[in-house]
Amino acid sequence: MEKRPHALLLKFAGTNCDEETARALRTVGFETETVPFPLLTQELIDRAELVVLSGGFSYGDYIMAGKLAQLELQRALGTPLKTFHERGGYLIGICNGFQILMRLGILPEGSLIHNTHGRFMCKWAGLDKRAESPCLDLLPDHFELPVAHAEGRFVAPEGKSGQYVSEGLAALTYSEDINGSEEQIAGLQDITGRAFGLMPHPERFLYANHHYDANWDADPEWGWGYYFFKSIFDRIMSGETTAKSCAV
Amino acid sequence: MSAAGSDKSYRHIAIRDLDVDALTTLSADMQLSLSTEDMLAIQNQYQQLDREPTDVELEVIAQTWSEHCKHRIFAAKIRHTKDGETEEVDSIFKTYIKAITDQIMLQKPGFVLSCFHDNAGFIKLDDEHAVCLKAETHNHPSAIEPYAGANTGLGGVIRDILGAAKGAKPIASLDVFCFGKPDMPPEQVQGDTIHPLGIMRGVVRGVRDYGNRMGIPTVTGAINFHPAYTYNPLVFCGTAGVIPSKFIDKQVNDGDYIVAVGGRTGRDGLHGATFSSMSLDTDSHEEDVGAVQIGNPIEEKKVNDFILQARDENLIEFVTDCGAGGFSSAAGEMISESGGEIYLENCPLKEPGLVSWEIFLSESQERMVLSVNPRNWERILELADVYETEATRIGTVSDSEVLRVFHNGEKVVELHADFLHVAPRKTFASSHHTRCVPAGEIGDAASVSEDLKKVLADFNISSREPIIREYDHEVQGNTFLKPLAGAGGDCPQDGSVIGIDNTGKFISVGVSLLPQYGELDPYKMGLSSVDECIRQLVVTGADPDQIAILDNFCMGNPDEPAELGGLVETVKGIAAAALGYAAPFVSGKDSFYNYFETDEGPISIPVTILISGMGIVEDRAHITGASLRKGGSRIALIGATKNETGGSAYSLVRGEEGTAVPDLDIEEALALYRKLYEAIKHGWIRSAHDLSEGGLAVALAEFGFPCGAGLEIDLNAVGDLAPQTLLFAESNSRILLEIAPEYSAEVATLFAGLPFAFVGESTDAHQNLIVKYGEDELINEAFSTLKEIWKNGLTPYY
Repeated sequence: MEKRPHALLLKFAGTNCDEETARALRTVGFETETVPFPLLTQELIDRAELVVLSGGFSYGDYIMAGKLAQLELQRALGTPLKTFHERGGYLIGICNGFQILMRLGILPEGSLIHNTHGRFMCKWAGLDKRAESPCLDLLPDHFELPVAHAEGRFVAPEGKSGQYVSEGLAALTYSEDINGSEEQIAGLQDITGRAFGLMPHPERFLYANHHYDANWDADPEWGWGYYFFKSIFDRIMSGETTAKSCAV
Repeated sequence: MSAAGSDKSYRHIAIRDLDVDALTTLSADMQLSLSTEDMLAIQNQYQQLDREPTDVELEVIAQTWSEHCKHRIFAAKIRHTKDGETEEVDSIFKTYIKAITDQIMLQKPGFVLSCFHDNAGFIKLDDEHAVCLKAETHNHPSAIEPYAGANTGLGGVIRDILGAAKGAKPIASLDVFCFGKPDMPPEQVQGDTIHPLGIMRGVVRGVRDYGNRMGIPTVTGAINFHPAYTYNPLVFCGTAGVIPSKFIDKQVNDGDYIVAVGGRTGRDGLHGATFSSMSLDTDSHEEDVGAVQIGNPIEEKKVNDFILQARDENLIEFVTDCGAGGFSSAAGEMISESGGEIYLENCPLKEPGLVSWEIFLSESQERMVLSVNPRNWERILELADVYETEATRIGTVSDSEVLRVFHNGEKVVELHADFLHVAPRKTFASSHHTRCVPAGEIGDAASVSEDLKKVLADFNISSREPIIREYDHEVQGNTFLKPLAGAGGDCPQDGSVIGIDNTGKFISVGVSLLPQYGELDPYKMGLSSVDECIRQLVVTGADPDQIAILDNFCMGNPDEPAELGGLVETVKGIAAAALGYAAPFVSGKDSFYNYFETDEGPISIPVTILISGMGIVEDRAHITGASLRKGGSRIALIGATKNETGGSAYSLVRGEEGTAVPDLDIEEALALYRKLYEAIKHGWIRSAHDLSEGGLAVALAEFGFPCGAGLEIDLNAVGDLAPQTLLFAESNSRILLEIAPEYSAEVATLFAGLPFAFVGESTDAHQNLIVKYGEDELINEAFSTLKEIWKNGLTPYY
């Protein structure tokens, strides 16, 4: 049997979307391993083609979301994910994982802060694909995913957010303003396209009948989240390591 | 009760020579909440033992015998008088709950896998998996500190699931609240009581912050607003779990290590069990804060991950949670029959200086107790490191049948299981008088359109969206029917459907709470609550023959015969319905003393029953939503509409009591539900919506809230009562069906001989609700207008 690409899911105390994210990764074809943070080593990371930071409340997120996870990672292993990424590895951060990737400085400069309405919000959001990205290859220009967060408002230093959109780094934006994000940014990739963070939860729309509307019929079997993970799987299988990071 | 002035961490209390008054005073001084009869039984025991009890022992007995832990009222003898006829009820629990379940278990062998003796009851999902559900109340703490009270309420019931069998995995939560009216003028609130708005906001956020951080979706719930809940808000939290069936049986063994896992022990939460067994008064807000604790969901999440991993590695012999009564009750559950020793100096503490009883009785959150075979001890410690939690050996299981607790080498407790678990039985008197139902019908046909708008705007009917959105109801990725769904994703559903990993099956979860019926007719409230819960499960696609339910009671003062009489009647109602549906009770809980002492006398809550249920959904194709999907469908109504407006939303909006409270024809209802299940399995049903509060009118409006298609309904097809009765009566067992037109003949044939009628069509020609009665067009309103009213009823307050 052909060797399947290896995905490593990193689990902090308070990470709570790891099981459904593992399910999604396995469904599209990854060999998937979930590693609790105290067991993490550089060797384990380097064995993987893809490292995923899934959603949750790492260490409670009582101070800035993702901050303690970032500090713990640095304390224990220095810059393991940066090293992995620089060696050509793929990184995905979903929701709290996105927040952690932002704090680690792997993605373009910015921060995810409290939604303008100040509330946690669990709903589905329309999304627009604004640039090519290894995570979005198989997705249409407009699609939907569930969101669930209190700290999802993307902010960046003056003028940067617009630049991210025009440069194709802000590959995913909300179709409407749901949380006050600058430029309605929902997902961000780095210049290589091998690091991608997003607030929406693709793992929660794996199957077509995860959709809230029983009439949804864009795909007979799979939801858009399936195609998110399938995109990156196909990209890794094809051996293409660089992003086609041009604005649509 | 500290041992100040001595080096000892405990003391002996001389009770053998006290007279009755002194015993009663002692109970009050030590906040034991023990009755004089209880104190006499204890005195007698120690006279026989020929020694004095320690303070730790008295605390252990008080906690074990507390209403909160022992449910002594449900076990009591009650002399019940109804309309002059008197009978003796020898334990409500045995007669109306356990006996019913026993009978159903004989009818359905292999369905209930465990009930009543564990932290939650299990039913069979498939050959290898079982599911469970448990609900608890956290009323008193939520009245005093709403955020922390509700926070730890949910945290506690999640631990019940982790402590059920050898550790079930929590997969979904429900929350049901009863509050005072959000628009109550603040100056009318007595004493230091928190305004209903403050209670509501705190409670919702408490549930949100615990459930979301634990990563357990909060998928269903209900809120009832009623002035009588102003001083005693009710907070029910429930959680469902799943477990491989091979892990259901658990047992401690001689020589096992007793291991504490999770949070440390502190002074927080002392006397919670006994506090819950008292009424509140105007001073409660100052005096009882020590009984309320602060939750730390991440601590519990770590314990959650640790326990599930340890279970899968077969490292757990027995597990239970530390709830009310702390180590005392956990050890009681675990080693009351076998016996064992606990060493308090080994318990990890949050702060130094706790005396013996404080350590043993503290209700600090996020703690679980395991029994572990010594050969697995090393691996348990490794796993604790991996999941960043703390596991500590605090004692040893023996086969001595005696519980012994030591502290720094001194024996502070030695209690025999026989005595500890045989509290003296109580006796009560209760009475009930059947209400005289007014003749005729209520209301006015001319104003039904306006009345519908009033009902949709009512606090008890309007959308819960602002609250639902704050709960992560999709974490774990298994919420297939969401609490809000339909086109637009914001239409109300009757229950939620959760996928169960590795089984291909689903469970539907639903709740019913109808206190407005109970005020008029508690027996029918019991019938209606069970019917509504089962109806909600069936409507979402559950098999009516694979449903289990829970009973959670709350009431005021059991010493008031009229209040207790309402409870007895309610229990009879739920028992009759459960038996009729063969839907076993697998778990339940009761909460008494929900009354508030004021200068003008006590204010009690109405007798309140929450029926929550889980039903098995066999296939993803069976999952059925409650929102209209298409124009061109035939619309049918199953179930009979009767002149039953007693306690209805319509009557309450009009400021009237209404006519009869809805009755239940169980045989007919069960036949309807079984037929509906067949129709769903055939794929003939596009959507189905249950008729509940607000009757047909509200159900039609909610059905159309996707605003994609219009509805044209002919009331004459519904029945021959006054149009307002047809629209607003709340008769049980009724469901609206959206049927694909090509199958309408098959569906009609299937329901032959049962109350079934085509009452209209959906159409693409408009997006209005049009209701006709003869030639008269009684309602013609855009669904968007009705939805706007419904959606914004609660928004200004939350």
